[in-house]
Amino acid sequence: MASLTPILRPTSCWKTLLRRSRQQKMCIRCLTTFEPPTVPLPPPPRLPSSYPSPFKLSRGIREPINKIKTYPPPPSARNKYPCPLDEWTAMHLKDLDPTGSRTRLFARNNPDVPNAGDILLVTFKNGDPFAGYCISIKRRGVDTAILLRNRMMVTGVEMWVKIYSPNVTAIEVVKRAEKRARRARLYYMRKPKHDRGSVEGEVKEYLKRRRLIRSGALGVKDPTMSAKRPEQAKSGVKAS
Amino acid sequence: MATTACHGCLQLPPPFPIPRAAFGLVSKRGIKSISTPRHTRFTRGGEGLPVLQTSITAALERKAYTTPLRTGALGTKKGMSAIYDTETGRRRACTIVQMDRVQVVAHKTRQKHGYYAVQVGSGWKHPSNVTRPLLGHYAEHGVSPKRHLVEFRVRDERGLLDIGEMIGPGWFQEGQYVDAKANSRGMGFAGGMKRHGFKGQPASHGVSLTHRSMGSAGQSQGGGSRVLPGKKMPGRMGGHQVTTQNVKVMKVDEEKGIVVLNGCIPGPDGCVVKLSDAIKKPWPEIPMVTSAAQAVAEPLRETV
Repeated sequence: MASLTPILRPTSCWKTLLRRSRQQKMCIRCLTTFEPPTVPLPPPPRLPSSYPSPFKLSRGIREPINKIKTYPPPPSARNKYPCPLDEWTAMHLKDLDPTGSRTRLFARNNPDVPNAGDILLVTFKNGDPFAGYCISIKRRGVDTAILLRNRMMVTGVEMWVKIYSPNVTAIEVVKRAEKRARRARLYYMRKPKHDRGSVEGEVKEYLKRRRLIRSGALGVKDPTMSAKRPEQAKSGVKAS
Repeated sequence: MATTACHGCLQLPPPFPIPRAAFGLVSKRGIKSISTPRHTRFTRGGEGLPVLQTSITAALERKAYTTPLRTGALGTKKGMSAIYDTETGRRRACTIVQMDRVQVVAHKTRQKHGYYAVQVGSGWKHPSNVTRPLLGHYAEHGVSPKRHLVEFRVRDERGLLDIGEMIGPGWFQEGQYVDAKANSRGMGFAGGMKRHGFKGQPASHGVSLTHRSMGSAGQSQGGGSRVLPGKKMPGRMGGHQVTTQNVKVMKVDEEKGIVVLNGCIPGPDGCVVKLSDAIKKPWPEIPMVTSAAQAVAEPLRETV
């Protein structure tokens, strides 16, 4: 006996068919079938002549629609004096070194500039003079200083001397180094192996010679006195 | 108003509600206290009661003692030099700070912002490099665009210097003390020894490759097996704001725009420095030039 399925099968398709037709109907319904009659747009109002045409290239810079007003800056001290530190140094050195002799003595372009390794003698306003090997020169404007090393009794002594200090009355070169040092800073002299010891002998000899020159016994002109401009040649050396 | 609908139609509610005032009493649901509130020390707004300690008013009052009377100024650290006293021969290290077009830009008021402060700007920035909101801020106050903008708290409205006023080096007197604030030199990522001064480990006695390490970060089981919050460790060092208090003003040059300060101040050369009256010294006795202070007539002085 044949089953019922072949008879029922067509009916089972009905559901799908119906759904499809319904969907079609919905699609049809969505289609626009009505169109309002086209009304011509009113003519545009009279535009100002300054209004830029979209078809024309605008000439010049176009101003933003709402530009924010800006105010000019007040006069600037920074632009006028961009390096106040240099000016401050120059102004202060005028008081500390009115003749400019110290500056010239330690200027790099001075052929007789003291170098590391030279023996220098510094005289102070109050207190004993100090002599030693110059083992370092620090050039920092007002803070320009030399580091002197000597041996007192059996102890090594070092002293930073600010060359523009009002307490320093004179800086003299006692003896030049025989050979130019290959280093700018001779810190290796702090090691016992390289320590050159006391400069007492050299200073004594220098002072003796200086006394003789000044007294005229040697028949040599005192360079500080015979110079064209003795004030500038002195570089702080006491005349007495 | 209540309009009567036509008789034949369905009775609808009136389109506009009748104002309640038209009725004598309207029942309102809710809780209503029968007794008036009594003033206790916990109630607010009582007459003659002290201000609550947790309020903003009380906080400002507490801070008033250390809040400067007048605004500070902005400067740029130019470098260090020295001053010699030509008579005694004494040398003093000094820092040179240059002030460039320092100007009051805006005010912060207690009524509007909750505190009194003066917004101060310095330098100049090309308007094309300034955002429109900020340009509007400058334009509103009639000030040119500024490179740096900072706020200085002041105690009350008498310290509000007028907008547009220039603050030159003459704002500070020679001999007065100031506090200098600046962002310190950035050190990058630094270890414990450099950043916090840890001792590190010995050079020998079996120490291997950990001579500069921080060591232990805490106990194990006895200490909770965790690292306590705030444990000092390696990390970014510097680059944060540092204050140097009580710096003496040695010289003031109005023309060059420089203030010469005694000693050193934080930050590298070229950094922005905030200078204000030292909070740990008596306030300088300078007559105030603000319009609010002129109304008071007498110079602003410390009121304790």
